[in-house]
This record gives sequence, structure tokens and C-alpha cells, in this order.
Amino acid sequence: MKAGAQGPERGFNPRIAAQRATPGIAQFLSRYLTVAFLDPGQQRAGWRDLLVLFDTPVQQAARRDLDSLSLGAVAAEVKTVRPGPARAAVTFLYQGGRPVGATVKLAFDGSADVEQGTGPVRLRSVFQLLWTAQGWRIASYQSQTGASP
Amino acid sequence: MRRAIVALLTLALVGVVGTVGVATFLNRSDAAPAVTVQRAHKGAAAPSFKGRITFLVVGSDSGAPKFGRGGAAERGRADSLHLVVLDTGKRQGIVIGFPRDSYVPIPGHGTNKINAAMSFGGPALLVRSFEQLTGIRIDYFALTSFDGLTDLVNKVGGVRVNVDMRIRDRVAGAFMNKGPQRLSGARALAYARARKTLPGGDIDRSRHQGQILIGGLATFQAQTAKDPARVMKWLAIMNDEVKTDLPIREQLNLALFARTVAPSQLHNVVVPNTTGTAGRASIVRLLPGAYSLFARVRAGQFA
Repeated sequence: MKAGAQGPERGFNPRIAAQRATPGIAQFLSRYLTVAFLDPGQQRAGWRDLLVLFDTPVQQAARRDLDSLSLGAVAAEVKTVRPGPARAAVTFLYQGGRPVGATVKLAFDGSADVEQGTGPVRLRSVFQLLWTAQGWRIASYQSQTGASP
Repeated sequence: MRRAIVALLTLALVGVVGTVGVATFLNRSDAAPAVTVQRAHKGAAAPSFKGRITFLVVGSDSGAPKFGRGGAAERGRADSLHLVVLDTGKRQGIVIGFPRDSYVPIPGHGTNKINAAMSFGGPALLVRSFEQLTGIRIDYFALTSFDGLTDLVNKVGGVRVNVDMRIRDRVAGAFMNKGPQRLSGARALAYARARKTLPGGDIDRSRHQGQILIGGLATFQAQTAKDPARVMKWLAIMNDEVKTDLPIREQLNLALFARTVAPSQLHNVVVPNTTGTAGRASIVRLLPGAYSLFARVRAGQFA
């Protein structure tokens, strides 16, 4: 994971700020990838655990875009997913001494077993995150899954 | 099993700051022949807003030590005044410029030049004066100074503006040819200040200030399209250079929303006015067309 931070011009150390905020965002992204790709059973639950990671104004859009944010409809055919490389580049925004926003470029590759054999699963996303009372939430996204464009 | 996967994934993600953490757990040797599991899908969303958002964007004549202008920006005179009304549903809006000498009622202070409202009672009184004048509710203000504007523009790497006339204005330090160009902080400020040599005087100046605002939006969109992380950079710069009552959460949501509003959908106008005098003071009087404009904006007509 690569991290940097933006903050006030004076009295702000971007390196320390990034270091401080990294564990929280790593935990959030780990949670995201787990519910979006590693647990195909999430589909039966209506992707509830995934959708709560989105801020309220974009939850409806995220429900529409599940195929580009997660295993989506193919989850019904997937027996297991084995995670491969995950990379994240994060830029935090600090205000008042704490992180309030972040841009995350996330890449994930894995392998899914289905009835017919095994095939790759892939995610390339840019998330804009907002710190809320519930923790980090995705306020905006551009995301793609599946084969390379 | 799931816990183990999560733990491994967390390790892979956390890594060390400044390095790339990559972990491969896939045992390719046992993999069966590859099949297509996922088809290609793309999706995108930005925060949505309901209804209209209105800002009062203010340039103060104070709070700029680099230009020898002391005091607090919010206690100075509001010399650049723009009402920005955004219809979030239609993704369009209007930027209405007001000459600083507009002679209008100021709550509790009789009738005076509108730029005096801020020195009488800070941004709150200025907002109230505008609301009373236009009948348009203002949600937030954004206030900067000469220093703030120049530093902001320099820190974002300049702002693209289509300069609409040749300008040779020694007082403002503006020497520009007509046409699209990237303005540095100093040149953006000069373009925003030039008045005396312009054919339309205050009207041209106010329109140019609106062009800088819209040019700023276009610059923001171009930069964040290339690198989405620039959103955070812009917000950090804005927080340094602009005073506002817009909470940070709304700033972020609005910045993300602003990426979806075409600059061409923001109409840049100056409130209809004429020059006059009040006693010995030179003032600007709003014409009846100004009140028709306010009524149209209240009704959601921006074109």
C-alpha cells in the first residue's frame, strides 16, 4: 500500500499523517475486498455488508453497479475465491488534525472456482472516501471488474 | 478459513507506507484450465444532492499582508461579489456578479454600498443583505483575499481562462491579449481587478471575476480527471486559502459533485445596473432587470 496525505500548509507532516491513517484504511479495504469478492454468500444476503460501506447518497447507485464493484451476479456460480495481489494507493485529506477524506486507487486480482473450472476475477477502482460517524464510507467511485479493457 | 484470508489480505494491504505491498496467495499450479468467470463491467457514481445550492463567493479587500492589506478578510469590504446558484438536478447554474458599489439596503444600516455590509457585520450580515435584496436563500459563503486568490491559483498550477478582450491596465497590472490562456495567481488577480481601462468598467470586471470562478471549475475537472487524488489536494488548498461555513463533509461531497457539472452549463452574468451618485459618493444602482433576473433565478431559470 502506498500512502500520502494532503493537509494544511503549516504544521503538517504528510508522512506522519499518512502513516497514522493507513491502518484504518487498510482495515476498511480489507473488509471491502472480503465482502465483495471472498464471500460469494454475500449475494444471498443482498450484498448488505458491502452496501453499508457506501455513503447513503451513493448506496442506490452501488446497488445498481454491483457487477462492477464486486463478484456481482456471478457470485451465485462461484464456489470459492482465492485472493491474489491487492494493491492500493491512498491520498488522505487531513483537517483539524485528523483524516476526513481519502482517494483510493485499488487493484485486486483473484481466482474463482466455478462448476466449469477456474477463472480470474479482477477489480480496478478509484474510490473517494469520506470519514463519517460510522467510519470510512465510499462517497464516490469509478470501478470496473472483469477482463482488461 | 475466512479469518485467515482476511488476516493475509490485511497484511498485504497494510505493507509499509511508501512501499507497495503485494501478496500472492494464488496457488497457480493446482489451477484448472481458465474459464471466464466475470464479464467486463464498468460503473461510476458521485454524490447526489437535492434541489438547489447557493453560495456567496466574496473577495475581501483586507487580510492580504502580501499586498499590504492588513486586518481580517471577514472584516474588510467585500470588493468582489458573486452569487453562485446551482441546480443540482439539472447540473446547471448561474454565476451572478454584483458591482461592489451596488447601492442597496443593508439590514440595520440603512442604504449603503453593498461592499460595506461585511465591514459592518462580517459575512453573516453580507449574506443577509443579499438574501433580502434577491429573495434567494444563501446556503454558504466562501471568502478569500488578494493573497488567498493568488496563492490558491498558484498552488493548483494556474487557472485556464478565455480572456475576452485585450487589456492594458497599469493600475491593476493586467497586460493580456485576447484568447484562452493559463493565468498564474498574479495574472488571475490582475484580470479580476482590471477596471479603469475596460470599456464596460465594473461590468467587465465583474464578468471577468465570474470567468475565473468557472475557469477554476474547468481546471479542477481537467486535473482530477487525470488524477483523482487531486481532489484531496484541491480541498487542502481551499481549506488554506478560503474561509467558508461549508462543513468539510459537504466540501468533499460538493467537490465530487462538481466533477459532473459542465462549466458550459454555468451562465456567467452581471446584474443589470447603471452608475449614479448618492450625495458625493459614486454608486451603482440596480436596474429593474436585476429584480427580474432574481425572480427568474428563484423560479429556477438560469439561461
